[in-house]
Amino acid sequence: MTITRRDVLLGATATAALVPLAARAQTSEVVIGVIYPFSGGSAQQGVDAQKAYETALEVINKDTDFDLPLAKGEGLPGLGGAKVRLVFADHQADPQKGRAEAERLITQEKVSAIIGTYQSAVAVTVSQICERYQVPFVSADNSSPSLHRRGLKYYFRAAPHDEMYSAAMFDFFDALKKKGTKIETLSLFHEDTIFGTDSGNAQAKIAGERGYKIVTDIKYRANSPSLSAEVQQLKSANADVLMPSSYTTDGILLVKTMAELGYKPNAIVAQDAGFSEKALYDAVGDKLEGVISRGTFSLDLAQKRPMVGKINEMFKTRSGKDFNDLTSRQFMGLIILADAINRAKSTDGEKIRDALAATDIPGEQTIMPWKRVKFDEMGQNNDADPVLLQYVGGKFVTIFPPQAAIAEAVWPMK
Amino acid sequence: MGLLYGLIAVGLALIFGLMDVTNFAHGEFLMIAMYLSFFLFAFFAIDPLLSAPLVAAALFILGAVVYLLIVRFAMRAKANAGMVQIFSTFGLAIVMRGLAQFFFTPDYRSIPQSWLGGKTVSIAGIFLPEPQLVGALVSILAFAGLYFFIHRTDFGRALEATREDPGAVALVGIDKNRVFAFGWGLGAALVGLAGAIMASFFYIYPDVGASFALIAYVTVALGGFGSVFGAFAGGIIVGLVEATTALVLPPSLKSVGIYAVYLLVVFIRPRGLFGSI
Amino acid sequence: MDKEFAARRRRDLIIAAVLAAIAAATPLFVKDVVVQNILILTLMYAGLSQSWNILSGYCGQISLGHALYFGLGAYTTELLFTKFGVLPWFGMLAGGVVSALIAMGLGYPFFRLRGHYYVIATIVIAEIGLLLFHNWEWAGAAMGITIPIRGDSWLKFQFLRTKLPYFYFALALCCLAWFVTWWLENSKWGFWWRAVKDNPDAAESLGVDVFNSKMGAAAVSAFLVAVGGSFYAQFVSYIDPESVMGFQFSLLMALPAVLGGIGTLWGPVLGAAILIPLTELTRFKFGGSGRGVDLIVYGTLIVLISLALPRGLLSLFSRPKKTGASR
Repeated sequence: MTITRRDVLLGATATAALVPLAARAQTSEVVIGVIYPFSGGSAQQGVDAQKAYETALEVINKDTDFDLPLAKGEGLPGLGGAKVRLVFADHQADPQKGRAEAERLITQEKVSAIIGTYQSAVAVTVSQICERYQVPFVSADNSSPSLHRRGLKYYFRAAPHDEMYSAAMFDFFDALKKKGTKIETLSLFHEDTIFGTDSGNAQAKIAGERGYKIVTDIKYRANSPSLSAEVQQLKSANADVLMPSSYTTDGILLVKTMAELGYKPNAIVAQDAGFSEKALYDAVGDKLEGVISRGTFSLDLAQKRPMVGKINEMFKTRSGKDFNDLTSRQFMGLIILADAINRAKSTDGEKIRDALAATDIPGEQTIMPWKRVKFDEMGQNNDADPVLLQYVGGKFVTIFPPQAAIAEAVWPMK
Repeated sequence: MGLLYGLIAVGLALIFGLMDVTNFAHGEFLMIAMYLSFFLFAFFAIDPLLSAPLVAAALFILGAVVYLLIVRFAMRAKANAGMVQIFSTFGLAIVMRGLAQFFFTPDYRSIPQSWLGGKTVSIAGIFLPEPQLVGALVSILAFAGLYFFIHRTDFGRALEATREDPGAVALVGIDKNRVFAFGWGLGAALVGLAGAIMASFFYIYPDVGASFALIAYVTVALGGFGSVFGAFAGGIIVGLVEATTALVLPPSLKSVGIYAVYLLVVFIRPRGLFGSI
Repeated sequence: MDKEFAARRRRDLIIAAVLAAIAAATPLFVKDVVVQNILILTLMYAGLSQSWNILSGYCGQISLGHALYFGLGAYTTELLFTKFGVLPWFGMLAGGVVSALIAMGLGYPFFRLRGHYYVIATIVIAEIGLLLFHNWEWAGAAMGITIPIRGDSWLKFQFLRTKLPYFYFALALCCLAWFVTWWLENSKWGFWWRAVKDNPDAAESLGVDVFNSKMGAAAVSAFLVAVGGSFYAQFVSYIDPESVMGFQFSLLMALPAVLGGIGTLWGPVLGAAILIPLTELTRFKFGGSGRGVDLIVYGTLIVLISLALPRGLLSLFSRPKKTGASR
């Protein structure tokens, strides 16, 4: 028998084509890329996120009896019990590095999907790369509304965005007004990066539509060494509600400066971020009795759904912290993504995308107060109802919307 | 606030201005000082105000060690001395941030209750936060002390002489390295004081120094290198300009006012307000 | 001496041509996009650092504010493209011209400043630019500009599937910056700068001419860096103030030249070839740990190299000759 060069070539191509298929059929692990800032100013969020994802990983890969997708049994049954493995990458809050890391994860680590990224600016470039390689990107905790409006096919966000959050705040004001509480003037106080700008714009827009008067709209430089001048302006405006959109660092400084300058607002309704961080309450919690923050998560849910408390304990043993608004979204994001991979029965990007698009998880099977998880054609879950939480006696209680509330709002705050 | 900027800048004024050495790790010295007083508070419940001397002493050692291990060699560089100083201290800043993240984790820390934090003195309707007030007081004392030290003691004269002509002082029997190591220690100790006071009302994390470092450089340069009084005046000006800019422009642009004033000053007086170098 | 100088210049040109040819051929062997990405960044930073070196190395005007020109290039290109539909190729030129004009406008007052005063002024001016763009609603403010991508197009200089056009553009930029430097070294300006660096007082006697030559250097340097900025914007396809005008760019432009050898023809290329892959690899390796190890490694290397080799890595290669020539 003679073997021609042509045969060899054909054989080689055939094997090359077959190998990935064969490998896929008996995948023993599914790799998911996790892109966060692990160094620099927001490294804390990255490190906390890592713990949240590891907790989700434990729920997926080990046998647990929660009423969550994939909790029971080990690994992904749809892929013959394959285990999920996470690869962490550091984007250092730089869109270019985020892009490079996404590309590296896809081409070298062969990840089936990517989840991230905390900073919205980085989500922009990471999702572009994912689109190009046809790998799904789950935006676990980015809240900029512009993200899902770019017509990307591989972009998914299960959590609410800033316009939904801001709308919930104004629904709450409307409800209070109906009961006779006086809320007419607002002070907006937001930082100057993409998060604060987006949030401030959304709030200003809705306030205009619903007839609230904005007396001050202060945009300040993130990580400023001092906020005295800004707080002076807030104080002299003295609006009915102060609405800050600040990360942890500025949040701490804001509250401290307010105390120093003797400014006690009637009420604070915060756009999450810093105001859901344990670090902020460790630092200035005593001055924040009665502060209200929007959120997607509330530990109160543990009263109705015991598993929320148990999963929170799992997270707490890893990180020493309770779930907060970010870490709970990260946890849920990975569960949703893994569920889609399981249903896709494949690690192929396009199949996972289709499975994600077909996702329909009832709210009870999440750790969130959401109605359900179902993505619209832009990849946004519109049934993720935000909640408002009030910090009372050292912990958060849900006060809005009524169906999730366990207590009445204390208004004005103390 | 201006006097507090002054306090952060005074240590830099000594290193940057009087010894003519660039130190791009100044913000990181501040960060370490803040962490030190945080840990002294967290583990031994020592109020930042009390621990300030301890922190200053620790920073003195750190400053001297940094000089002996790094800056000494940077100053000896035969070529591009300015560049070597900039980049060796800049590299040091990165290392210090990395180490802080490694050992202290990137968590945001802050001291919830202290003698100073959150307290306010109200005089005729104007609120003066106590930390800033004490900061201002310490700042004035530190400046006065430094001024006296430089101009009235043998060591101060030795320092100035060493900067101007290291060769000549060696002939008189002054060891350049000892003089400069002491100078660095002193500069760092002053940052230590600033850090301890800052810690009582500011948040602490590995990158915290960055926001203050540039303002400190501008403060020192605005006042003029080589002048202790200049750094003091620079601090007050920076504080005032910042407050006024925030009234005229959107607050997110308030640093622009500081920078613009700096540029304006050096365009008119290329050596800063009171500079001699 | 003159003959030796001419021979060296001819040799440099030949080496550069060979290196460029080798670089141009690498995509034939390197198919891995991650490696290609590192190569593109390395070439880009080599080009940027080379441009920075013209003003800071040869003229001795150490600028830590070149991020301003980088950002101006990126913003001019993308604002013209997204708001007025001007093709990036023209935007690139426009960005370069805008930056060069601004650099000359700033040069007038700036060059009167000396030492630290000048360095701080450059940092501060870039910081002002950053803050202004951060607050300029029309230019996208903090939201930045997302460049709409509609498939591969040479006209719009955007490519989805391949990195090769970016690679060759970065290579061209690097070669251009190198060639400009090479040419300047032997020009009238080059001689003046060397004279001024060796003996600052000689500057006085040359007076106005030297001042004008510095302005020229500032303009050339800013123009090339702005073109680099335009390229970066097209390459990343998203810009926001922090990611194109942040202080880190000023440093990243300076570092390769400093590590390789400031004020030398080959320093920036050598420095970038070592520094950029190193940065990327330390991040790949340690970045996911969240413990700052990458920072420690990176920072330590900078300290050690700048202390041990004040003339840069290049001095390792030419030590025997240098000792004779520089004394």
